[in-house]
Amino acid sequence: MNSILWVELVIGIIVSFTLLGIFIWGAKQGQFDDGKKMMNGLLNDSTEDLQDAIKKDEKVKELKANKRAKLQKS
Amino acid sequence: MSIVKCTHCHLEFDESVMIKEPENKELNFCCNGCQGVYHLLQDDGLDNFYDKVGKNTLSQPLAVGDDSSNFDMESFTTRYVKKTSEGFNRIDLIIEGIHCSACIWLNEKVLNDTDGIVEININFTNNKAKVVWDEDIIQLSQIIDKIRSIGYNAYPYDRSENEIKATENKKDFFLRMSIAIFASMNIMMIDVAKYTGYFTGIDPEMLRMIHMAEFIFATPVLFYSGWIFFKGAFYGLKNKIINMDFLVSAGATLTYIYSLYVLFGGVGDSYFDSVAMIITFVLVGKYLEVLGKKNAVDTMDKIRSQIPLEATLIVDGGKKVVSLDEIKIGDIIEVKMGEKASVDGEVISGISSFDESSISGESMPVSKQVGDIILSGTINTEAVIRYRACKNYANSTLNTIVELLEDSLNSKPKIEDTTNEMSKYFSIMILSLALFTFFGWYIYEGSFENSLIIGISVIVIACPCALALATPIASLIGISWLSKEGLLFKEAKFIETFAKIDAIVFDKTGTITSGKLTVKSVPLSLTLEELNILYTLSDSSTHPVSAAMKSYLETNYENLKSLELEKIEQIPSLGVQATYKNNIVYGGRLENNIEYKTTIYHFTINDKLLATFELEDKLREDAKETIEYFKKQKIKTILCSGDNQYTVANIAKEIQCDHFNAKMSPINKADYINSLKESGKTVVMVGDGINDSLALSRADISIAMGNGADIAIAVSDIVILNDKLSGISKSFYISKRTFRFIKQNLMISLIYNIVTIPIAMAGFIIPLVAALSMSLSSLLVVGNSLRIDKKKQEK
Repeated sequence: MNSILWVELVIGIIVSFTLLGIFIWGAKQGQFDDGKKMMNGLLNDSTEDLQDAIKKDEKVKELKANKRAKLQKS
Repeated sequence: MSIVKCTHCHLEFDESVMIKEPENKELNFCCNGCQGVYHLLQDDGLDNFYDKVGKNTLSQPLAVGDDSSNFDMESFTTRYVKKTSEGFNRIDLIIEGIHCSACIWLNEKVLNDTDGIVEININFTNNKAKVVWDEDIIQLSQIIDKIRSIGYNAYPYDRSENEIKATENKKDFFLRMSIAIFASMNIMMIDVAKYTGYFTGIDPEMLRMIHMAEFIFATPVLFYSGWIFFKGAFYGLKNKIINMDFLVSAGATLTYIYSLYVLFGGVGDSYFDSVAMIITFVLVGKYLEVLGKKNAVDTMDKIRSQIPLEATLIVDGGKKVVSLDEIKIGDIIEVKMGEKASVDGEVISGISSFDESSISGESMPVSKQVGDIILSGTINTEAVIRYRACKNYANSTLNTIVELLEDSLNSKPKIEDTTNEMSKYFSIMILSLALFTFFGWYIYEGSFENSLIIGISVIVIACPCALALATPIASLIGISWLSKEGLLFKEAKFIETFAKIDAIVFDKTGTITSGKLTVKSVPLSLTLEELNILYTLSDSSTHPVSAAMKSYLETNYENLKSLELEKIEQIPSLGVQATYKNNIVYGGRLENNIEYKTTIYHFTINDKLLATFELEDKLREDAKETIEYFKKQKIKTILCSGDNQYTVANIAKEIQCDHFNAKMSPINKADYINSLKESGKTVVMVGDGINDSLALSRADISIAMGNGADIAIAVSDIVILNDKLSGISKSFYISKRTFRFIKQNLMISLIYNIVTIPIAMAGFIIPLVAALSMSLSSLLVVGNSLRIDKKKQEK
């Protein structure tokens, strides 16, 4: 009985520390720098906003690639 | 006439003044700006902006007069634009006009959809934006125009070392605090099992398992989250000071070591939960301090972004644009309409009016002609004017105010709060008692192990839970009551300071008075046609007097309509002139009426005086009651204003305040606050304008009215959101009541400690008693605090 509890305890701690790790990663990325914006994002972000984010990432990738190519040329 | 909402900004107006569209009668716009932005959003498919706005109201779109091409000038680029490692341009901006998350969404969406923008990130909390763009595709001026086209405006700001440091510090504290809260919450959950086990019986192996789990969670709290306390204690000891950090780290470490001893071999109960809770409680308090410092930095950036970047010098008959540092005393400077004066000086040519509200607080523009002094930071509202600099930028009024404000915000003196003081002495006392107990038992019994356990038990039983809860729980209830009344306290500690005040200083315009001109005397009778001419004249100027006249006519007369006036001309500092059916019509001040001490508006046709109106700034409804309330509380009431002696004396007499000061500059006001403080008084300053900011930042407690200038609100400790003066007396009543309960709570926790500590010192404390007494003391404090707003209904 107790050995099962020990295993559960270890798993529980591993899971919670993994979640904490993800949170720390998010915080270091700056995702929680703006408290108000984060809370509003939680309430209001829609699928359209997610699609916009993907589009924006693609646009930025393209801009960066073009800039690199231009800098290499010059 | 009915009241309708503007389709764009959602502000409410009388239906008769709204702009309608023939093709869609349901649309109502309060101004051309709102109409323009609405159609722009519709055309760009961004109409779901209004879903996001919901019931919020927006400000009317900002009409910006100056040319955005300044943003592409070399001097501007050198100062504000940085290169990223990838070769893009980057600038930090402050976006003006942001109200809600929908505003952020709209700005980010519009800019993200613009070609050439690599990154746009607007911070909702401080309205600062980071923009990265490719200069080969888009120019900065085009980005600014884009922001302006949707009704917002942007100013650049220098991302100072201070801000970078404050942001990093905030992030670091946020991480440490989050980890501490996460671990403490887990420990509290595990504690439920542990404490239940004390009553029902628990298998020793199970108890060990619980201690082990608590050990795993408490360790990062002590060594990662609590690291700042070790660092603080080390620097304190290096400077031979025993500070709070030392006591927190010593208490937590000793408890941790004792708990480790229990976990790996000893008998008894571990206190890893106490370790985590002590660190977490103190860390949350520290994080709030860090947030306060970050806010001060953000406020200064907002203020600095308002300073003009360049000035136009007249050199050898030509014009030369120079940065402010290059201006020397004696240089001739030209200021166009809408521009800010960059340094102080004396007018040498031209006549115009200057908006001095940032210096004097008065909304009425002041006439300036040859020989008059112009102060830096004031805005030219009418015609081009040239003046000779009599001070350089560093010594000019605006820069002096900004520098003083920066000093005040960075070192704002606050009354040390009682709880902190008490905790300090309390901790020193507990630590000494624990040491005394340890040595006493060691000498008496000779057992090191037993002496250590009893010594540490003294620290544990005196767990500062009740003491730590005494202030926050009462403050929380007080603050939530205050917020329900529309009274925003930025920090809980202001409750205590406000409850102890001796003097309250009020600004006049916008605080004691409404700040808006209204027509006081009844004019001669006019025909409908003359009324229509007068209405059209007052509608053709944005001057506050004309606006007040227009509002008076709309309220008192029906069926007014605009006429086709010709040759409309603004006469600087006087009024508006036009021709109507070959008659010269004029509305404004006549040159020869200098004997008036109030604001006068004359209406003439072909130089024949038809009507004279007297305008005044009305007292707020609850001004007298508020002053009376504070006088009853034996608090000195003072009125301070930049206005003339006659007006201020009249208002002071009407509200019956104890003392008044007229013709006060922002620096005079701040010095006056300082002199009151030096005489041993705890001073409250109530204001609303930019001119009050310095005095607000110097006062022990500063209160801003909700519709005041952004800067005044930013530097204030309390904001009266409902904009009623009675809110100040209500805040005082609630603060006083809450503070009384804080003192009661502290007394309860002290009595608890006085009773339990001797028992612990005598070695009688068993874990069950410790657990029970700790919870009981906390419950007592919480229960007592709940009585604070019991009198809410009666009040």
